Parts: sequence; structure tokens; C-alpha cells
Amino acid sequence: MSAFQGRVSSALADATLKIAIDRTTNTARTKRAAAIGAWPEFAEARELGRDIKDHVIANLEYYLTQFEANAIKTGAKVHWARTGQEACEIVVGICKAANAKSVTRSKSMLGEEIGLPHALEAAGIERVETDLAEHIIQLAGEKPSHIIWPALHKTREQVGELFRANHTDPGALASVEQMVNSARRNLREKFMAADVGISGANFLIADTGGICTVTNEGNAELTTTPPRVHIVTVGIEKLVPSMTEAMTMLRLLVRSATGAELTQYTTFHTGPKRPGDLDGPEEFHIVLVDAGRTKMLAEGLAEMLRCLRCGACMNHCVVFRQIGGHAYGSTYPGPMGSVITPSQDGIEQFQDLPRACTLNGQCGEVCPVAIPLPKLIRGWRTKAWVQGYEPAISKTALLLWRFLALRPGLYQFASNIALRFMPIFARSGWIAKMPLAGGWTTYRDLPSPQGGTFLSQYKAKHRKAAK
Amino acid sequence: MSNAKAEIFAAIRKSLPSPSSATNIAEALAALRNRVNPTRPDRVNGAPDEVFLARVQSPGVAASAERIANLDNLPAAVARYVSKNNLPPSIALQPHPDLQGLNWSGLHIHHDIATDEPVAVGLALGGIAETGTLVFHSQPHSPTLFAFLPLHHIVAVYAETIWPWLEDYTAEFVGQTPPRNINFVTGASGTTDIEGTLVRGAHGPGWLHIILVEQ
Repeated sequence: MSAFQGRVSSALADATLKIAIDRTTNTARTKRAAAIGAWPEFAEARELGRDIKDHVIANLEYYLTQFEANAIKTGAKVHWARTGQEACEIVVGICKAANAKSVTRSKSMLGEEIGLPHALEAAGIERVETDLAEHIIQLAGEKPSHIIWPALHKTREQVGELFRANHTDPGALASVEQMVNSARRNLREKFMAADVGISGANFLIADTGGICTVTNEGNAELTTTPPRVHIVTVGIEKLVPSMTEAMTMLRLLVRSATGAELTQYTTFHTGPKRPGDLDGPEEFHIVLVDAGRTKMLAEGLAEMLRCLRCGACMNHCVVFRQIGGHAYGSTYPGPMGSVITPSQDGIEQFQDLPRACTLNGQCGEVCPVAIPLPKLIRGWRTKAWVQGYEPAISKTALLLWRFLALRPGLYQFASNIALRFMPIFARSGWIAKMPLAGGWTTYRDLPSPQGGTFLSQYKAKHRKAAK
Repeated sequence: MSNAKAEIFAAIRKSLPSPSSATNIAEALAALRNRVNPTRPDRVNGAPDEVFLARVQSPGVAASAERIANLDNLPAAVARYVSKNNLPPSIALQPHPDLQGLNWSGLHIHHDIATDEPVAVGLALGGIAETGTLVFHSQPHSPTLFAFLPLHHIVAVYAETIWPWLEDYTAEFVGQTPPRNINFVTGASGTTDIEGTLVRGAHGPGWLHIILVEQ
């Protein structure tokens, strides 16, 4: 059993996890469907969003140059990092130069990707996660299990226990409202006392040199305004040409992520505090991070660089909804993670991810920038096969299937045998246990076959039509 | 050029060996911009201030709102809100000259904002009808934290500064250097981080009251 299969088995055996995943992803799908339903122009907007991102990626050098020049003009300091480690070193260096004891951080998946939480801790700097979900998993000592709802794997009951154990004066924690209030009270002073605030960015605006963050809680602005230093860590693919394009992308991103039309707070941060301003940081640093993006470009994964990190693909993924995010063992779970992770961390180690997919196509259909996720996932399967990483058992099974598929007579004969053999194990139309089918029947029953093979039904239908 | 930047650019160049000219890029971008209007949600089909007022009170934004004839009526509207919600009659007033010039007798005014400020009163730069969004630009008379620290945020906005669509706002400032912060505020703060359930009043204000000023 691979490490991935081991994690999947424990996830499937965890009934509480299933409840937690269902509660959030069901709400997310319902709300997204309502928001898209109320926007008849969605299909056209989606094509525009796709083309904007493709235009930027095709002219990445041009827009990065433009962004950097404009950011510098507004007083920002721009840093470049080839790897996650390099990015962390830059951030820790800025924190040390600022003599920072305490750092507040607003949720950023790139920060997770490059291991920034760990790097800050290793440097002995107090790290305060301010997004509610990140606060929950920081208290639990865990990693995010979803890119929009990092604490999706926790039920409200589990969050209540965590706050009771860790918060000062939590009060009653029976309702979600009470939990949110307790977090508000406990994080309030931390916001104001931090020396450095670190955020990610949803967009980089090339023609102003500004960055855009979207949040619902208001934690990004409370992270980036009171401290003396604001540091942004962001992937180089997050560019849009201007504020105008940002508006199209925001319409697509927010509806796909939470089903709202805009998040409560959409903020464009450009440079440090201006003369006369009563608040805002004196230093504004932007760390532009490659960490595998140019590699994806070289590997034919340019379409994946469109990704807005909305999470719709995972909310609609039948596999994610069974196993949750941690089972993937990577920063990015679900369909988008199954494309990004093998590129970032190697197909040898993560060949299971592109295979944990039914290819039902839902992820590609809901993607707000039309990333052909099933095609990209199939691409990784092909690479894994060509490079010889396919496990012996599935390789043998596939070769056997190929042998039969090339011999239709034999294929029909084998199907007929299976059809006769399977009902022997069925009780009331369902198979709970059968030789060679343990991988399926451990977790669910298999319906007993009915009505003969496809070809025998097809022939019977034709005979009937001919009469 | 730093080594890191040079290497990243070299890697990009390897995959995209023949960059387009600035003219071609500008043309392609103009073609994309021509496609924006038909993709906007077709809903701003009345006077922008009326659409805005309906939008901010819709379930998705869930702010409370009212209309007043002119800014002189603002202190009375604030006093009504404060008394209706049993709040202390002490308010943090955004240091905007339009607000400072009003008669606030009956309310205690201060211009600094506390971490746990119960009520703040502000004046937005404008609003966006499409989404029911308030827009703030950080400036000496509009500090960012006024929109994030109070529990109740009461915001006045002039009817004439309501833009129909998001792009109408951006068009107004093309070519200008933006302020440090542009804050779009669409409803009171909230979170769906626990089981996807929406709860208002996460870290930012728990209540947003919008007062549309006709003149």
C-alpha cells in the first residue's frame, strides 16, 4: 500500500471527517450554483477570464517588467525568489532587519506552499495566523485541508473544544457565532501589536504596481495596516494588466469560491504609507516567487497558470468529497492539486494523485477560467506510465484489458463469464464482497449486473427496431 | 538585475522565446477590453443610486441603509441609529472636513479610533451599484482602520458618487497613482470558515449602516 493509499484508508474510516467535508462542500456547491445561475453572462465572462490569463502568461516577461517598474515608483521594494526556500529567506531577512518579535499573517496559499509558517517559527518569530480557519489549524497544529476553507476538516464541535482549551475567556462556545466572537476578542490586540504583517495577493496589477487581496473577515487589512512593515509573498503568475481586468477576474473568482458576488473586503494595496496618512506601513515589500511556475510553463502546463485558487474544482470533486484534503499529502489538494503537485514535487512521489480521479469532468466544467483539468490529469497519467511509475498490479490489469479489448470475441466471452459469475455473490441486488473486488467493496457495495452485456442489449434493440 | 530575476526571466524566455512587441500586446489587450461589457451582470437598469440602495440591503450584502436629503441631516440619522441599537453616544468620527463641519451636539465625538471602538462614522469616496460596494481611498482624512476596527460602521455616501458598474469606478482613475489602499467594502465583515456557515462580525465591523446623501 502506498503512503497515499494509507492516508485515504484512514480518511475513509473517519466518520467525523466525512460529516465535516459534507457540511462545507455541500453549502459551497449550492451557493456557487445560485450565484452562477443569477449571472447569465457567466459563460462569456469565463471565456474572457481565460483569455485574459492566457494573454498575461503569454506575455509574462512584459507584464512582470511593467509591474516591477510601477511598484518601485510607488515606493515598494520588489524582491525575486527562484524557490520557496529563497522566498522564505527573503521574508525572514526583512523581519530580522525590522527587529520583528511578532508577525501577523493573512491567509496565503503561496505562503503554505513555500513553507513560510515553518520558516518564521524556525527563526524564532512569533507567528499569529489571523484568518479564522488558519487560526483554528494553527491552534490544532495542523495543515490546511482546502485552499479556501483550510479548516474544512473540522466540525464546529471540534472547533469549540479547541477554543475552550486555547482561548482566554472564551465564554460559551455552543454556537458558531460564539466561536467567531471568541476568536475576534482573542486576536484583537495581536493585530495592533505586530511588527510585521504578511499577506499573499490574489492579483498583481501590472499598470499600477499594486496588489489585490480579497477576504471576508477583514483580517487582511488589519494585518497589513497597523504594523510598520507589510510583506507580500506572491506567485509570478498572479498578474493582470490593470484594475479593469481585475474586475472581470473578481466576478469569476468570488462567485466560484464562496457564491458571493464580491467578498466583503477587496483591497488594492499600492506602496507604503503616503505623507499625511494616519495609518499604514512605512515599508512595503513584494516578494515575487517562481517556485516551479516557469517549470510548469516549460512542461506544457501553461493552462494551469490561469488558476485563481477558488477551490470550486475540489468542492465538486467526488474523490475530494470522500477523502478530504489531507489525504493528498500536498499543499494543494483536489483536481488542481493533482496537476500542480506532480510538477512541483515530482511525479515519482505523487503519481497517485492524478490517478485519484474518476475523470467525470466536473472540475473542468466549474473552473472559472476553463482550465482543462481532466486533460492535464490524463497527461500526468501518461507521463507516469511512460516513465514506468505505474504500479505492477494496475500495469498488469491494464495490459490484460488491452489484450482483451483488441480481441472483441474474447472480450465478449470474458464479459459474459463475469456477468454470470457476479450475481452469485449478490444479496438483494448488491454485492458486498467478491474475490478480486476488495478494493471497491471495502467501502461500498457493487450493484449486481442486470440485463446482459452492452453488446447483447444493443443487438436485441436493433433486432426489435428491424421488426 | 538580481540573479534570481535574471534566472526567472531566462526560464520564461526559454518557454516563450519570441516576445510580442509592446504595440502588439497593447492591441491584444484592447481587444480583450472590448469584450468586457457583455460579460457584466445585466442588473444596473435603473438610477445607479437606487440600484445601489437595493443592492446593499439585498441578502448577499445585508447592510442596513437609509436615505437623507443632505449631509446636515447626518448627525440626526446617526443619533437615531445609536439610540435604536442601544449604543453609547460616543462616536469615532473619520477626520473628513465634510463631517467635521457638521453639528454633532448630543453626541461625543473623537477622531482617533480604538481597537474595540463601538461606533465609527465615515464618508465613503463613492459606491458601486452593481455589487452594493462602498469605496474608500486611504488619505489623511480617510484612514484605513476606520473601516475595520469599529463594531458598528455608519457610512455616508453621496448619491452622485455612485458608479453603475465596477469598471466605471476603475475608468475614473485610469492613469493616476492609486492611494496606498483602495478598500472595497461590500457588507459587514463575516466568515464561513466553520462548516461554511456565514457569521457576521469576524474581525471587521459586525454591522454596516449606509446613509445615502441625496445632495
